[in-house]
Amino acid sequence: MPLLSAQDEATLKEHLSVITLPVQLVLFTQTIGGSESGDVARQILNEIASLNDKVTVVDKSFVLDTEDKAKYKVDKAPAIAILSDGIDTRMRMYGAPTGYEFVGLVEAIIVAGTGKIDLDPETMTWIQAVDKPTHIQVFSTPT
Amino acid sequence: MAAANELITADAIEATEFMDLSRKYRVTGVPKTIVNETIEIMGGLPEKMFVRAALDLPEDVTGTDIAT
Repeated sequence: MPLLSAQDEATLKEHLSVITLPVQLVLFTQTIGGSESGDVARQILNEIASLNDKVTVVDKSFVLDTEDKAKYKVDKAPAIAILSDGIDTRMRMYGAPTGYEFVGLVEAIIVAGTGKIDLDPETMTWIQAVDKPTHIQVFSTPT
Repeated sequence: MAAANELITADAIEATEFMDLSRKYRVTGVPKTIVNETIEIMGGLPEKMFVRAALDLPEDVTGTDIAT
């Protein structure tokens, strides 16, 4: 049974229509000892990818694909690394992207797929001036 | 922010899925943002206030100050 309603799909498809660059959603899940949210995450990503040809899902094992885990610095699962035309955007989502997280995921896909960042020019100046590694973790819940 | 600067990584974490992390960072309400293990931002803030807090910039900073 799909998680997205027909109406959600239509709205989402329109949002995703601005994408011009290929977007890869690299999903890390753990089959044994992992939570059910990995399956939920996979279903959500596949439903999104079915709405736009430029969005693809790359399935990885959190246990077996150790090189990819290291490459994308993924330390917990389920995890989604978002790539823009094969280039890491350094945006990650951990846990099933439902509720508010789903909105964040769609926004991240649009940034990756358009190369456009919708921020105030002054704010962009501040961000681009950052000259040391900066790790931002945002905690949220589905509701 | 991560998409705009290669030195920035941004993780969106589902707090109830990763309870150990939520406890570690004392997440009692959401959204809660942790930057480099040292800066804590509670709640949602307007864009400029959020970025200023996340990057630990002074209140009176302007784009020109940063650029020069």
